[in-house]
Amino acid sequence: MPADRHQVENFLYREARLMDTHAYDEWFALWTDDALYWIPSNDDDFDPQRHVSIVYENKPRIEDRITRLKSGVAFAQDPKSRVSRVVANIEIEEGENGEIIVHSTFNLTALRRSHMDTFAGRATHKLRPEGNSFRIAYKKVVLINNDEVINNLTFLV
Amino acid sequence: MKKQSVIDYNEFVKEDRIHGRVYTDPQIYEEELENIFHRGWVYVGHASEIPTPGDFRLRRMGRQTVIMVRDEDGQVQLLLNRCTHRANAVCQVERGNTNAFRCAYHGWSFGTNGELKGVSYRDRYPASFQKADYNLRKVPRVGIYRGFVFGSLSPVGLSLDDHLGPRVKEQIDLVVDLSPVGELDVTAGVHKYGYRANWKFQIENSMDGYHPNFVHQTFFTNIQHRTGRKLTDLFTSSSPAQTRDFGNGYVMLDFRPYNNAKSSLWRAVNPEVRQKEPYIEAMITRYGTERATELLTTAGTHILVFPNLVLIGVQIRVIQPIKVDETEVFLYPTFLQGVPEEVNVARLRGHESFYGPAGGGATDDLEMFERNQMGLRSQVDPWLLLARGLGQETQDEDGTLVGQVTDEVTQRGIWRQWKKMMTQGTDVPARRRGNGTARQVAQ
Repeated sequence: MPADRHQVENFLYREARLMDTHAYDEWFALWTDDALYWIPSNDDDFDPQRHVSIVYENKPRIEDRITRLKSGVAFAQDPKSRVSRVVANIEIEEGENGEIIVHSTFNLTALRRSHMDTFAGRATHKLRPEGNSFRIAYKKVVLINNDEVINNLTFLV
Repeated sequence: MKKQSVIDYNEFVKEDRIHGRVYTDPQIYEEELENIFHRGWVYVGHASEIPTPGDFRLRRMGRQTVIMVRDEDGQVQLLLNRCTHRANAVCQVERGNTNAFRCAYHGWSFGTNGELKGVSYRDRYPASFQKADYNLRKVPRVGIYRGFVFGSLSPVGLSLDDHLGPRVKEQIDLVVDLSPVGELDVTAGVHKYGYRANWKFQIENSMDGYHPNFVHQTFFTNIQHRTGRKLTDLFTSSSPAQTRDFGNGYVMLDFRPYNNAKSSLWRAVNPEVRQKEPYIEAMITRYGTERATELLTTAGTHILVFPNLVLIGVQIRVIQPIKVDETEVFLYPTFLQGVPEEVNVARLRGHESFYGPAGGGATDDLEMFERNQMGLRSQVDPWLLLARGLGQETQDEDGTLVGQVTDEVTQRGIWRQWKKMMTQGTDVPARRRGNGTARQVAQ
């Protein structure tokens, strides 16, 4: 059955809101147990076993990230970044084993200590249907500035 | 001779304290670029980044951009990125492979060894024009140790070999000889991040054994949760780990006494690596049991090669000043040649967990540097204190100063070298005109 576009859009918007509002536990709950979360460094695609990534995390590593952010002593998020993003240009494909592949773009503004930073890029999600919603089995974020100096990407992307 | 500074640096660097102006004064910053980055030895890159003739990387020495390129004869060259005609930058991209650097402005082209190959419409130059006078200018001195490529923009001065000395080379060996074929492979890309504060905060912090239990508690908590390993006792004031100052601004955190006390054999092999045996066997075959044990237990080093190179574990860290209150930091996780792929993948994943712009450790350091720079605006008392362990140091036979790991032996060593270079110009006279090509390769 082809995925319901409205349902997919709602899921991505919800994920964006959870990231914008630093709702760490709710965002973490979106991932499957075999999840992979990937933000390449220097280039848009490569073998992550042969090249360093900005983020290359399985579920336990994502949990470490969340534990840290919730600790109150993750100083790179003290004060927290104020974040607002727009998710758009959503394209939906059928993936394997009932998964849904979703391509999207985002524009994100992060304000911290009077400095506004802009990030933009493309995301690919592999969503696994579960009940009336989805879980994220895979998420890859291709930043247009992945080969530039980035001072602080410790909020959720 | 060195231009006389109107700044009396002795007033700013005392034995047990430094004045905040060393981090905030734009004039001091300009003099640092000239006296430290444009004269002394500066790390540029690793030879394994450019294995094939024509491979190049665009790098900086202070504010000057240089092309690190392997020429057609296989030699590593450091060429200034500036056309000898009208100063256009001849290389636009950070990495690649080429058989020539061609200036787009008027069409001059240069070989990978810098030689001027082609001059467009040459007939209108006077008869005295000699192509050989207009090769790309070279970094006057190039020194290489175990693939680590250093340059000096001064044509004269101590050789790299003499400057590093046996103790620093010994530390570099600990990093490179974790490979059973004795070769690093710096091909895994780079993390690039920065911060809005002075560059010296990063080199000092890299050698600060006092901060980890405070700044990095989230990291240690996660490690303990995942592995049961408690790392915090490494950085207490009762830890057997040490600080060392070898002179010349070469300082380190020495974890060996801690590792030996813990009998933490094979630290270099990540516990998650399943195929340890082939690697360990290859190490013993190459180095013998004693040296292999030392290498695997020590697992690299934790050293500052003043002013811009830090070696920590698997990582090459390069510190690049941008402005008095802006800095960039490039981190290159390294691979070992001749090991099972799993070992190198574990090096990558370990690096990513702490480092990079989204990492769970170093980003908190950057935050500390920015808080430092903010704090410096308050100047009723302008001094920063560096007195930990002062007067309690011991001395190795070769003069190396040794303190406890939370002592500021390392910071004092950095500032001693900084003051020396800012006041005496060390052994290195001011840059001269010319296209020096002296090359020396350290042992």
